[in-house]
Amino acid sequence: MIDNLDTHSGFARRMILDTEMPTDARIINTNYQILKEFYDVVNNQENQNQINNLQFKLCNLKEIGGTITHLRNKYVLDDIELFEVKHLAMLAGEVQVVMNSLQLGESIFIPNLEEVVSILDPDGMKIASFYIYDSYSPRLMELRRIMKAKDDFDEALFSEMTSIEDEVRAKLSMQLSKFADELEAAQKALAFIDLNLAKAYQMIKYDLCFPTVSENGTTEYEGLFNPEVKDALEQRNRTFQPVDITLWNKPTLITGANMGGKTVVLKTLTLCQYLFQYGFGIPAKNADIAVKDEVYFCIGDEQSIEKGLSSFAAEMKNIDAVIKASRGKRKLLALIDEPARTTNPKEGTALVSALVKVLEVENVSLVMTTHYDIEPNDSRRLKVKGFENGSMNYELVEVKDGEVPHEALNIAESLGIDKEWIEKARGILIMSNSTQLNISNSIGLDLKWSNTTTLGKEKGGKA
Amino acid sequence: MPFIEELIKYRSCSIVGLAKNTGKTVSLNYVLGRLPLDRMRIALSSIGIDGETTDQVTKTAKPEITLQEGTYFGTSEKHYLQRRLVSELVDVSDENTSLGRIVTARALTKGKILLSGPSSNLGLRRWKTSMEKYNIDLIIIDGALSRMSLASPATSESMILATGAAYSANITNLVQKTAFVVDMVNLDLTSEENRLRFNDIHTGVWAVDDNDELHDLKVTSSLSTKICTDGIEHCKTLFMSGALTDGFMEHIRTKKIFKETEIVVTDFTKIFLTPILYKAFVRGGGKISVMQKSKLIAVTVNPTAPNGMVLDSDRLCKTMSEAINLPVYDLKQCD
Repeated sequence: MIDNLDTHSGFARRMILDTEMPTDARIINTNYQILKEFYDVVNNQENQNQINNLQFKLCNLKEIGGTITHLRNKYVLDDIELFEVKHLAMLAGEVQVVMNSLQLGESIFIPNLEEVVSILDPDGMKIASFYIYDSYSPRLMELRRIMKAKDDFDEALFSEMTSIEDEVRAKLSMQLSKFADELEAAQKALAFIDLNLAKAYQMIKYDLCFPTVSENGTTEYEGLFNPEVKDALEQRNRTFQPVDITLWNKPTLITGANMGGKTVVLKTLTLCQYLFQYGFGIPAKNADIAVKDEVYFCIGDEQSIEKGLSSFAAEMKNIDAVIKASRGKRKLLALIDEPARTTNPKEGTALVSALVKVLEVENVSLVMTTHYDIEPNDSRRLKVKGFENGSMNYELVEVKDGEVPHEALNIAESLGIDKEWIEKARGILIMSNSTQLNISNSIGLDLKWSNTTTLGKEKGGKA
Repeated sequence: MPFIEELIKYRSCSIVGLAKNTGKTVSLNYVLGRLPLDRMRIALSSIGIDGETTDQVTKTAKPEITLQEGTYFGTSEKHYLQRRLVSELVDVSDENTSLGRIVTARALTKGKILLSGPSSNLGLRRWKTSMEKYNIDLIIIDGALSRMSLASPATSESMILATGAAYSANITNLVQKTAFVVDMVNLDLTSEENRLRFNDIHTGVWAVDDNDELHDLKVTSSLSTKICTDGIEHCKTLFMSGALTDGFMEHIRTKKIFKETEIVVTDFTKIFLTPILYKAFVRGGGKISVMQKSKLIAVTVNPTAPNGMVLDSDRLCKTMSEAINLPVYDLKQCD
């Protein structure tokens, strides 16, 4: 989402990447209030000219952190640095004027840098260029006049001029050093304006909503969608089916068929939590979101050959970090995608059941997807509706029992997977259900069965 | 004054030296000193470093670049702070070079500067575009061929070539070598159709067959001669986004499908062919054309080589002029 943000200065983009996630509900609320003001202004066609003007000005915003540090440490600035300071001070003044006329002036405080401008613009020309002006020193003015009149380059004259210029620079730098904080604040304020403009445009472009900050710890999304997947689907002339989901401080288990969008739901929830805390528009129709201190997203597909970790080991380590964090006081959102999927189903089921119990604590909102039939407990269960009339319904519905859907074969079939494989699997299932035999023993049955079906002419896997 | 009247007809000009010490800076200063600054605005930059007081390679004395009052110039931060004139800083760009960002300033007095500039074609183009707001009539780019720079002087509308004894100490040889470069600069612009077709291709070698179909020859490097010509009966046009080298030419010249092919390169600086091979290709019915071309206005010569060798200026100018059909000047003698 940050990549899709149309900021007009690289600095604004860097600012958001450098910011720590805000975890204070008041800050998040204030940021949304400011964004709302921008959103309303941007949405009003009458403001278009002024906004273009503002964006044009913000294109000129440059990061001058190094120069400001020099100023604060009372170094003597060179001409280029003085130019940068003047440029920023003038830009801040110009942006303030536009902000006032858009009636956005009150939402963001831009320090008044007129004094900086007047120090660097002694002749009041209001042009954003800079040199050591004649009016800084009468002697300099005289020397320059002499130099211009001469045809040849006068080394002595030039070196006297240079030393006067150096004195002027030192004096200017001293005068300006007390404005270092204001300059830094102005630079940040301009980047913040740029960021809010970009966020407002992003909201319109992706049809995002303003969330409310939840007070009871419950997070509720109505019509949640994933902007990236939605875009990709729309390019293929298909639509994204939004989902509704509520999370509270109790584990939520999502079961459902393969390709039912479970992982997409987890990814979207993760994205939304970050978007919310960083004050972006939320991809949903309505959203009421609880503030969290930390977000954990374990997708379980992180085997690392370099580190000598198998998929299972990598996953266990990630989940272990969540459990350790859950023992503290910080509020966590943990999103875990199909834990223990790479081990045997028996132990896997036990691990998942136990994980739900361990993470059933006040400060953790857990959302987990699984294919395992885990025993009923206090957790809420959501199920992707699944295959209906030959197409997938991605809606999430609450289910009472722990029964997981058995649609893997149907889905594999719809993907056009080899028929022999699917049919044999189906046969094994029928046999194991009817004889109540464990699947692991079914290879022996497979051979008997394969002789009695239409596929019997072909050889079974173990024959 | 030779060629100044011709020069001011164009909006940009590159001054290109064929080797170090061929008098490029002399040519540049000559031009800068004679342009009618009272009725036109000039901006100056470079592709790489220039204006050192001593040559960085041979340690021989070199003239600095002298600017007149009112001239705009783009140079690096480091060189800006070493300027020997009073100037007004008008812009600091995001364009980075090894000597810092590119800054643009206007000279308020006459004086000397060290010149450096953007080191890529894109950077140079951005700088040129940024100059539009100052209503510049002529942009002059100091551009060396021998210099390791990705920016090409061929992005300018016009060009002045500087050559001299430093390039070759034998008049006949010098004239031949220079004439070949002039031939390359004067290569025809390819057709409008081809320019549109190849404009957005930035990598690889591409062939157009007789049915006007475009094929990627899957060439990974200009130095590689592995080309995939499957499905091409005869190649009408060959577009090379990179360099055209002897090795590549040698490889395709004898192949039947490349008989009477037109090879299109982005500009003449991408051609690294020996004259013999080029002539053999042309004699066989082949043709080389360019996507971008500058108008060559004049050739200047410096008859003095850094090792002290001095050629006969008059004879050099005369022989050269006859060979290339263009005015040739020894600027040291023009005053």
